[in-house]
Amino acid sequence: MTSPSASVARVEASTAPLLRLRGLTKTYRQRHLWREDRPIHALENINLEIPAASAFALVGESGSGKSTLAMCIAQLEALDAGEVWFKQKQLTGLSSDELRHQRAKIQLIFQSSALALNPRFTTIEAVTEPLEIQGSAERSQQREIALECMRLTGLTPELAQQRILTLSGGQRQRLAIARALTLSPELLMFDESFSGLDLIVQAQVLRLLASLQKSRSLTYLLITHDLSLVIGFASHLAVMQSGRIVESGAVSEVLAHPQHAHTQALIAAMPKWPTLQAAESGA
Amino acid sequence: MKSSTQFRIGLSVLALLHLAVLVPGFFAPYDPAEQDRSLSFAPPTAIHFKAHDGSWRLRPFIYSVTATNDGDYAEQSGPEYPLRFFVRAAPFRLFGIIPCATHLIGVDAQAKFLLIGADRYGRDQFSRLLYGGQISLFAGLLAAALSLSLGAILGIVAGFYGKWIDDGLMRLAELFLALPWLYLLFAVRAFLPLTVSTTTTFFLVVIIIGLVGWVRPARLVRGIVLSAKERKYVLAARGFGASNLYLLRRHIVPETYSVLLTQATLLVPQFILAEVTLSFLGLGIAEPVPSWGNMLSSLQQYHVLVSYWWMFLPGLALAVVFLGYFSVADALEKHVQSASS
Amino acid sequence: MTFFLKRLGHAAFLLAGVSVLSFLLLQLAPGDFFDEMRLNPQISPQTISHLRSQFGMDQSLPVRYWRWLRSAAHGDFGYSFAYNAPVSPLLRTRALNTVLLAGVSTLVAWIIALAIGVWNATRAGRWPDRLSAGVFSFSLAVPDVLVALLALLIAVRSGLFPVGGLGSSRFEEFSFLQKARDIAWHMVLPVSVLAFGLVPTLTQHVRSAVMGALSAPFVRAARAHGIPPARLLFRHVLPAAANPLISLFGVSLATLLSMSLLVEVIMSWPGLGPFFLEAIMARDVYVVIGVVLLSTSFLVVGTLLADALLLAADPRIRRS
Repeated sequence: MTSPSASVARVEASTAPLLRLRGLTKTYRQRHLWREDRPIHALENINLEIPAASAFALVGESGSGKSTLAMCIAQLEALDAGEVWFKQKQLTGLSSDELRHQRAKIQLIFQSSALALNPRFTTIEAVTEPLEIQGSAERSQQREIALECMRLTGLTPELAQQRILTLSGGQRQRLAIARALTLSPELLMFDESFSGLDLIVQAQVLRLLASLQKSRSLTYLLITHDLSLVIGFASHLAVMQSGRIVESGAVSEVLAHPQHAHTQALIAAMPKWPTLQAAESGA
Repeated sequence: MKSSTQFRIGLSVLALLHLAVLVPGFFAPYDPAEQDRSLSFAPPTAIHFKAHDGSWRLRPFIYSVTATNDGDYAEQSGPEYPLRFFVRAAPFRLFGIIPCATHLIGVDAQAKFLLIGADRYGRDQFSRLLYGGQISLFAGLLAAALSLSLGAILGIVAGFYGKWIDDGLMRLAELFLALPWLYLLFAVRAFLPLTVSTTTTFFLVVIIIGLVGWVRPARLVRGIVLSAKERKYVLAARGFGASNLYLLRRHIVPETYSVLLTQATLLVPQFILAEVTLSFLGLGIAEPVPSWGNMLSSLQQYHVLVSYWWMFLPGLALAVVFLGYFSVADALEKHVQSASS
Repeated sequence: MTFFLKRLGHAAFLLAGVSVLSFLLLQLAPGDFFDEMRLNPQISPQTISHLRSQFGMDQSLPVRYWRWLRSAAHGDFGYSFAYNAPVSPLLRTRALNTVLLAGVSTLVAWIIALAIGVWNATRAGRWPDRLSAGVFSFSLAVPDVLVALLALLIAVRSGLFPVGGLGSSRFEEFSFLQKARDIAWHMVLPVSVLAFGLVPTLTQHVRSAVMGALSAPFVRAARAHGIPPARLLFRHVLPAAANPLISLFGVSLATLLSMSLLVEVIMSWPGLGPFFLEAIMARDVYVVIGVVLLSTSFLVVGTLLADALLLAADPRIRRS
């Protein structure tokens, strides 16, 4: 299987990281009337650096805090402590106007595209929505940009007037990517966006992402529990467990020499497919 | 019957009725306040095609009617008065502004065409039915509009902003629900001056009824807003930098439209009934302005109740209106159910 | 148990809220009874001001509210200017009459609704079901005003039923049994009118509740075990359908009270209704407030009773 990541892995990461996370902490409190308040440490002192033009995978079991981290980076949830630096600019504590401007640069794509798109909208309405919200272009221009982004993601212009209800899962996922692209983001985060897709569709989307990365100089943050996805696509890897980052580094390094027990367990849990040669030569 | 036919029939009936009461002046043969003591409680005028001498006429006509000595009414054998269409009669104002004097039906001034009889003062009940219908039906519509707007706004605010606004509003809602609405209505009405001008009374009645009825729409809207604001696409829009106002306008409020529509079809008949009840008991629209409520109140006297059956007709008109609204509501509900399943 | 306590607290809150609301309404009255008195040349200004201070009309708002609340809690709802007597005794008989009428009507309506509803639910979709559904949707469209007037017409025309009131002219002379029969005879028409208004929606709800219970897996299992239908109905299906129905009962109380007000006035049943109307016309403010408070208390108590019933009937609520 040709790896679409081959070209990605060879891209040199620039020296200054695109995204820097320092000491991110988020605690949920479960309130009980008669028991002690039990705090849930969703994120504990997260420190991470994501290099520009990389495909950074964030791996962990469910409940490890991956989604929470993505939401906090996207400023969709508040942090209890810590700073998020995007290109040497702190995101936490910005005024609402400045934040709105920054939001364009960081986009989060959710797991279920069916839920993340308003079923009453038409395709073109959904794709122009970010532009409409940001007010960054004239109405006619918005439509042009939207159609262009649709074209980039392989959606034909005929789909423009169709209601989102009528689209397939793969088309919807492309739609989600297309509309994220309209704002010319620099960081695209995918929160388990591939788990619901058929394998063939998943491969198509990954190929799309690979080609987009070069043409649009994008940086990806892929949140997934599927380690095999990581191997095929990502350049860097971080492993999360119970709200902490237990290991991070280049994919090849981490996979070859996992330091942390959890990482080792994750790697061991991957299904091993016997190669064709082994099957022929072996028993 | 199939819900779409039901819907269409109900809607057409309602549309016709509302059209008729929108321009009552045109459809009514007479001015509703025009009295004629000599025709007190005159029965509905018989429409003839066959004259007393046995010959047939193409055009329907009536005979003039006078009171007999024993309190009854008898038809004169005399001249025939054909029903004319598009006659010039008592002037009125179209929509309250444009002066007009053309009526759909009428007869020559010497006879009186009482389609559904006359009341105690000899006023044409049919004309009063139309003018009264305007009051009763539109009181219901306006009050419903008020309730729905108030309920929608409060529901949206409570659902979207949550926390203590929501709590406070819901407590208030429970308070309103706990009160027997008719008692509340009366009590509020009681504490306002009993005799005020008709327009003031009308708006007073509308406002009171509307204020009492905001709870159910508010709760339903709140429920919808609560679930809508948690949707992933709302979150996604936030990710694009959407303001609260944008989210409300583009994603959340449109979800409330269908519920508001069904509520409207349920509330309007309730409110029409509220106005009719108030006027019936003398607390709403007062004489001489007609309303279906005060037209029915003369039935509280035994001699009217027993002898003059045509005075019941505003009640029948009410039933028809309700049937219309209920069929529309029913059809809408079936449509919503099938759409969500 | 906590459920019930919560509802109790809730009820107390409601009563307090309504008392404040009522009292504020009281203050809305532009001019009070005494203004009209002032127009009467025979009553001197000094008498008026004396009466005003006697009723505490010259005190500040919170003070008046507190005094009024205290006396209301003692069952003293103030003074009726029109009757020149304290309000409470006037209210008591009439309240009892309203409760009698409303209570009997609810009972009758529920019995009919249960019978028809269960029968229709077991034969869902067949012609009796469709027929009653059709009949009921038509009957819902007939306003209660019309029904009450028609009932009155029947009374006057046929002479079979009394045209109003609670008892015949020689009521005082009757024995207890005769009194009971007399009252019952007077109640036939008002109860019928109220039941007519209640039965359609009740039947609808009973039917859907029973249908819901019938389709439940445990009922299917019971049927498969060969449990005879009657036993199935009374011991399995109805208890399961009880929860939504009891809630319905609680919620329908408000409509019942409002309906009974109108029916009492039209059919001259000496309950709270006609008394209330009279008081409004006469601007007898304390009576008006007393009636509002009383009727709301009925509602609150009734809902509380419904909650208690729910607790007794549904073990799931007991456990939570």
